[in-house]
Amino acid sequence: MIRKRIMIANKLGMHARPATLVVKAATKYRSEFKILKDDMEINGKSIMGVMTLAAEFGSELELVADGVDEEYLIKEMEELFASKFGEE
Amino acid sequence: MKKISVKEFFQTKKKDFSLSLITRPTTLDKDITSEYLNRPGLAFSGYLERFSYQRIQVLGETEISYLQSLKDEELYNIIKEVFVYDIPCLIITKGLSIPSQMEFLANEMNIAILSSRIPTEKLYQHLRKYLSDYFAPSKTIHGTLVDVYGVGILLTGKSGIGKSECALDLVERGQRLVTDDAVKITVIDEMLMGTSTNDYGHFMEVRGVGLIDAAKMFGIQAVRRNKRMDVQIELMPWKDNMDYERLGLSDNFAEILGVRIPIIYLPVSPGKNVSVIIEVVALNYILKRYGYDAAYEYTQKLQEDLKKKSSMRNSEIEK
Repeated sequence: MIRKRIMIANKLGMHARPATLVVKAATKYRSEFKILKDDMEINGKSIMGVMTLAAEFGSELELVADGVDEEYLIKEMEELFASKFGEE
Repeated sequence: MKKISVKEFFQTKKKDFSLSLITRPTTLDKDITSEYLNRPGLAFSGYLERFSYQRIQVLGETEISYLQSLKDEELYNIIKEVFVYDIPCLIITKGLSIPSQMEFLANEMNIAILSSRIPTEKLYQHLRKYLSDYFAPSKTIHGTLVDVYGVGILLTGKSGIGKSECALDLVERGQRLVTDDAVKITVIDEMLMGTSTNDYGHFMEVRGVGLIDAAKMFGIQAVRRNKRMDVQIELMPWKDNMDYERLGLSDNFAEILGVRIPIIYLPVSPGKNVSVIIEVVALNYILKRYGYDAAYEYTQKLQEDLKKKSSMRNSEIEK
């Protein structure tokens, strides 16, 4: 299991489009994927779950991947978050 | 190109357009190839350039009274000149009687003259509707058409994916079957109309059972003859890596005969209740038509929330 803290770097926060990107990236992997924010813990492969976080610009998430390809999943997430989902 | 013989037109539409044949039956063997009609007033007055002779020629009171006003010789000559063209047929409206020379020449020159009891404008309208439907582009595709809450849903997908079973389930739930397996699609007023390829009734094949008659089995309320197609749903086997629509913010479209309709790629897997999803698709389509888009509403709310939280965070930092 890998845990990774990550910050929302795009101005608009985790709105529908980035949430879709996260879910689409995550579903490629076989590992379990959870995202934690404050007292919430959601399934990172569920679009409603990810949007429920309402993670705004500057807020911090904890990504938890567990499974055979967990490293690759986390690596792709890091890249995705670092790219600010192609936004500002 | 599509065509219909004057004979077939006369025999099938005799009642609808209250037609009778003035000329000999042998004049009926030409083909109608155009969906348009022509009023040959100018042609009969001698202007034969740009004469749309290939269309059905409709003669009303104006044309007939003009012809009757001509002298015998004049009349003979002009009719002969017009009848040289390869006209499919003439239709005289309102049951008007025609000059005897006209009938004579039509028989001689093998052009059918039909008489209708309907007034010109009304006949014109009905005839145009009939012809444009008849000549409308059409094709037959492999699929099943159901009416779900009034929304025409075209189910497509490979053989054996479960289109018929799905249609059966929908019928059980009170929806209506239009046709199973082969759908004849016609473009009418920029819309896709779907119907059965034959008029045998609402038969369908259920794997392992054989043929059933849906109308007999579920009652007449479970079927309908034709329906406008609003949404296409392509059933496909579930694949783990397939990019399925998650939010429904963007619509995909399928193009059939040049008309675009929304298409939804629906993964099916054992134990999944596809009928319920299809009903949801139909209801969501209706909501969108009424101006309510759930995906848009939700994401709008989320964006406002994010903005609010973001500005709160900023003001905290400034403090």
